Amino acid sequence: MLIGVRKEQELADHLSQQQAPPQSYWSIVRQQFRKNRMAVWSLRVLYVLGFIALFADFIANEKPIYAKLDEESHFPVLRSYAVGLGLDSWEARFFQNSWHEHEYDYVIWAPIPYSAQTMDRNNRNYVAPGDEQDVPSTRFRHWLGTDQLGRDVAAGMIAGTRTAMLVGIVAMSIAALIGIFLGALAGYFGDERFSISRIRLVLNGLGVFLAYFYGFQARSFALSEGTFGWEIFKSLVLIIAIMSLVNLLAVWLKGKGVWSQPITIPLDLGVMRLIEVVNSIPGLLLILSIVAIIEEQSVFYIMAIIGLIGWTGIARFIRAELLRVRNLEYIEAAQALGYSEWRIIARHAIPNALTPVLITIAFGVASAILMEAFLSFLGIGVAAEEVTWGSLLNLARSKFSAWWLAIFPGLAIFATVTVFNLLGEGLTDALDPRRKQ
Amino acid sequence: MLQYLLKRLLIFLPTLLVISLLAFGLSKMAPGDPVEQRNRDMGGGLQRELRDADRVYRETSEYLGLDKPVFYLSLSSAAYPDTLYRIFKRDERENLVKLIQQYGNWEAISNYYHAIRKADQGTEQLLGKTEAVRAVRPLIKQLYLAYKDERISSLLDKAASQTAGDSTLQATIGTSVAQLQETYSQLKAQASPGRLYIPDIKWYGFDNQYHNWITDFLTLDFGESFIDSRPVADKMGDALRWTLTMNLLAIFIAYLLSVPIGVFSAVWKDSTFDRVTTLLLFVLYSLPNFWIATMLVVFFTTPEYGMDWFPSLGLGDLPPEAPFWQRFVEAGTHLVLPVFCLAYGALAFISRQVRGGMLNVIRQDYIRTAWAKGLNAQPVIWKHAFSNALFPIITMFASIFPAVFAGSVVIEVIFNIPGMGKLTVDAIFQRDWPVVYTVLMLAAILTMTGILVADILYAMADPRVSYGKDKN
Repeated sequence: MLIGVRKEQELADHLSQQQAPPQSYWSIVRQQFRKNRMAVWSLRVLYVLGFIALFADFIANEKPIYAKLDEESHFPVLRSYAVGLGLDSWEARFFQNSWHEHEYDYVIWAPIPYSAQTMDRNNRNYVAPGDEQDVPSTRFRHWLGTDQLGRDVAAGMIAGTRTAMLVGIVAMSIAALIGIFLGALAGYFGDERFSISRIRLVLNGLGVFLAYFYGFQARSFALSEGTFGWEIFKSLVLIIAIMSLVNLLAVWLKGKGVWSQPITIPLDLGVMRLIEVVNSIPGLLLILSIVAIIEEQSVFYIMAIIGLIGWTGIARFIRAELLRVRNLEYIEAAQALGYSEWRIIARHAIPNALTPVLITIAFGVASAILMEAFLSFLGIGVAAEEVTWGSLLNLARSKFSAWWLAIFPGLAIFATVTVFNLLGEGLTDALDPRRKQ
Repeated sequence: MLQYLLKRLLIFLPTLLVISLLAFGLSKMAPGDPVEQRNRDMGGGLQRELRDADRVYRETSEYLGLDKPVFYLSLSSAAYPDTLYRIFKRDERENLVKLIQQYGNWEAISNYYHAIRKADQGTEQLLGKTEAVRAVRPLIKQLYLAYKDERISSLLDKAASQTAGDSTLQATIGTSVAQLQETYSQLKAQASPGRLYIPDIKWYGFDNQYHNWITDFLTLDFGESFIDSRPVADKMGDALRWTLTMNLLAIFIAYLLSVPIGVFSAVWKDSTFDRVTTLLLFVLYSLPNFWIATMLVVFFTTPEYGMDWFPSLGLGDLPPEAPFWQRFVEAGTHLVLPVFCLAYGALAFISRQVRGGMLNVIRQDYIRTAWAKGLNAQPVIWKHAFSNALFPIITMFASIFPAVFAGSVVIEVIFNIPGMGKLTVDAIFQRDWPVVYTVLMLAAILTMTGILVADILYAMADPRVSYGKDKN
């Protein structure tokens, strides 16, 4: 994590000083990246991890992928998606007997014929991988052992891959959205270029106040009692309506006396101060205290919090890049053509500044995965029935003789974190202008 | 420089403000009532009479300072009274808020609330007399926490039919139950939800919970723990002893090893030594410390695998009277594994930084000149190169400062060492807010101070760095 921070600082500083744009940027980067064998290999491992995460249900599942039962063909894994969406429901016989107990005419099991939550009653109380196992055939062996409840560790690892990848990607997407937005504002507009009319400033301030009041305060009963998703949607519609109304009003009132005088807002200063504030927040402690007060534990809260804290590196990068890009001729050309500032930022400036952000994202994903693993290791932040690498590792603390619970999940965390760190290193090297000869 | 320093110190203020608001807001959003919790922990509150229980509750909340308004001002709607904070009990207050949010008519709601209290007091005087009282009393109690129309109506109907069926009840609390029903129907009839849509900012003055806490904090009075009433400063002092011992040892070891490793692998770049250490350090750096710590605990502190080389978790249980030397050895053997876990991560990190810094310096022309004029390796490496490669080591102070203070949460929790990290985690889970506030604030202050100190050291070590002018 710390190496990531330092690297990105160095590069951000460097980029802000750099003047001339590199030629055929992408091809050079790709070429440099390919030279780094470790990075290329970690990219391949990442593909595998992504594949496992995407097809986790087909790799470890107590339901058969295909089953022929009483002359009828079933695709239970596929069907479970439909059931999950509420489009379908299981027949009674699938409830009455567990999936392993049916007399199938023909059946294709998933490579690991257990789900993460499946409790194998015959192999409870920490059955080691090498032990004698009470299974019908080697096809149903628990290759990585079981835990106290008889849950298959290999299946848990597959489910954990999905959670880890999801946390890394979602958390970093949130961080990237915030970071790119704020960084672009700070870098493109700087301290002088952003000015709005007085009336608009005042009305927007009022609008934020009203939007908060009518969106959340006045609707708090509906929000806490009604269906949350629907009510929050209504609140959002209300907020958007209020804000657009206010801005329409501002356009209409514009050009009327003193109110139309422009005020310059030092966006860069504001964003940089905000970054300093966020960077001095002790992140782990804050996450712990937020997660500890949430009653309904879900991994999505962790993603959101990591994302809300972790955007600063990305913002610094984008800001540094846009400080450089905004003085380039093609931006001037776009301005001369009369494009709006927002269009220039979104369509012309940001796309040219995105590559270095990949470095931050790679390191950020690694630290987000570590954070999630640590939190679930402490047993907080994820729902109790959910199996993750961290929660598996935590089981090792309650049973010291179960070495497989200590080794395999830890190895998975280590491998994933290493892959992302190597990727970050590889990208840093590939993007480092000093080595580009 | 002075101007720069002042400017930087001024930035501390908004940061501290944000963090204090965050910590404070979190504690207010956290479920659970600290007053109830404390009363429970103090062993009381089992079966008190209503008036008595109310008095104890009020005293405790006064003692904890929770009877004050929460913040300087509040943004709410015209439907809310500005005296709502005077309803001490958190769950009752929150229930009243839910009623306000539905009906928006505080006068009627207030009447209804007083009717509940009156009926409650009425049933209390009859307590234990008859079966009917025992049936009616829980119904009244449940009214305090009921806000949905069907629920309140059904509770009221049941209470009314119970009272009507018993002559003594009818005689004593018949009127108050009737009054309850009347006030509730009034409440519904006079509902004015329109008032909920009129924004209203209320000012509560300076005697509020946040103000009292933050002024105490600024005068270095960190308050008392909610859990055991010990001053927070004392608790932290005890914890800090272990954290400092562990972290200083770990950092010392890490620096001792990493500076030579980093320097030599940079000087002999691409040698076998360099390749091996770089790979090794990268692996070390990527090893999650909670995994390594768990593995060490599993394999080396238990007899399961025949490698029971280290004592089990914690710090041993020798009494404080034991001879110093004995206690020293006891603590020392318990600290070996945690210090190792803390050190290996720092070692990997620092060596990589030193190597990177040296590599940047070593390709400079003046180093080539130094070699060319025939200087020995020692002065070139240490005097010319290393002293200029110091910057990354200096900036690392920034990250070490807060790390030493907050302790390694991970390591302390796994090895069960009563340091700052464990203290904080325990405080968070026990909702011991004074401790949590203090740790969050101090950690933030230390982080900022660390960054500032690093910047100043940087300027002192490198005359080219100047903070006088604006820089991008």
